[in-house]
Amino acid sequence: MRNNRRLLGWLDERTGLKKIWETLFARKIPESKGSVAWFYTLGSACLFVFVVQVITGVLLAMNYVPSPDHAYDSVRFIDKQVFLGHFLRGLHKWGATFMVVVVLLHMLRVYFMGAYKYPREVTWMMGVVILLLVMAFSFTGYLLPWDQKAYWATAVGANIAGQTPVVGSHVAKILKGGEEMGVATLTRFYALHVLVLPILTALLVGIHLFLVVWHGISEPPEKTNRQIESN
Amino acid sequence: MDGSSDNTTRFSRRHFLSWIITTVGAVIAAVLGSTAIGYFISPAFQRKEENWVDLGPIGTFPKGNPTKVEFVQRMRDAWVTTERRSSAWVLTSDGENYIVFDPRCTHLGCPYHWDEEKKQFLCPCHTAVFDVGGGVVSGPPPRPLDRYQNKIVDDRLYVFPKPTQVKT
Ligand code: HEM
Ligand code: FES
Repeated sequence: MRNNRRLLGWLDERTGLKKIWETLFARKIPESKGSVAWFYTLGSACLFVFVVQVITGVLLAMNYVPSPDHAYDSVRFIDKQVFLGHFLRGLHKWGATFMVVVVLLHMLRVYFMGAYKYPREVTWMMGVVILLLVMAFSFTGYLLPWDQKAYWATAVGANIAGQTPVVGSHVAKILKGGEEMGVATLTRFYALHVLVLPILTALLVGIHLFLVVWHGISEPPEKTNRQIESN
Repeated sequence: MDGSSDNTTRFSRRHFLSWIITTVGAVIAAVLGSTAIGYFISPAFQRKEENWVDLGPIGTFPKGNPTKVEFVQRMRDAWVTTERRSSAWVLTSDGENYIVFDPRCTHLGCPYHWDEEKKQFLCPCHTAVFDVGGGVVSGPPPRPLDRYQNKIVDDRLYVFPKPTQVKT
């Protein structure tokens, strides 16, 4: 115990650890009760699911090959042969669904509490970009198992992009990496899914959380006189 | 315990909450962590399936002198079927009983060769010498040449290309 203290003291002198800890975890948050208090946990829930996705995703990548002749077999290998592979893949798949749900719920709580207002506009804007990134994760990840559902869902997705006026056909072509879906589609979706999107998301979540700590979390909106009277 | 809202009691609300968070967090970390570790190390413990490989009709192997035989081995490696070029040294004195040697030196795995004049196997890497039966004559190898199981079916020689050690 005493040695622990000494070690912590030593680290603190050199890193300011204590101050950092206090700023992050011992900061003041609004007092709230009941369901309102629970709504404040949604942001942390987003962060938790994101971390789970990163861990399970890295492990899946160890046995996955983004090429049309191996993608499906490697996913089957994970499902059928790797120890706990089915469970891990399940976590990543359900996590992906939860991610969208939880991020949307978090956004709704911020919206209905008016927490996006001055001075938190940039926090909100970062959030909007993060939401788009989460959608991009879903779209690119869905293709990777390279089964019938994955293939046709992406074909439809690319066609939807193709409906955009003027630039549509070009966007669809760029998405697919050519006229037709194939090898290039799978590799670029993979690169986006495991390299580009995670790095961007981690960066934006970092900025988002910095701003949350910087501004402090907003109070729940006050009830107006009329609401109080009608209660 | 009276005054449960009092934060100075021994087990305060604050204590309770941080205890809950730590415990639940630890359980989640343990489940996720052990899954991750199990998943990560499991390929190391997976058995590779090897198959019997047909080396050809037994009449083709000269008697007395070891012959190097090249073959192609098809095997399942994770999610792909690979073809691996491989070889073995086949030795027979009567055309009926065979010994098949793994082609790698038992020291550090260099491919050795048969010296026709000396009637010995020589390893170029650290000058090991083995006799015709695979026994160590000189050099650093810790044990005789490893062997492959073999069998004869319909006058063809089959080997199971998984090295088995021979005790000295
Ligand atoms: C991976 C996705 C996200 C993570 C990890 C995340 C994390 C957080 C956390 C931990 C908080 C602290 C307060 C709370 O939890 O309610 C927060 C606040 C906030 N978030 Fe997010 N968030 C994400 C997505 C979004 C999205 C999509 C939006 C809106 C478009 C958004 C807008 C905001 C705003 C405006 C606040 C400040 C609220 C206040 O101060 O009361 N966030 N975020
Ligand atoms: S590897 Fe053959 S002697 Fe060292």
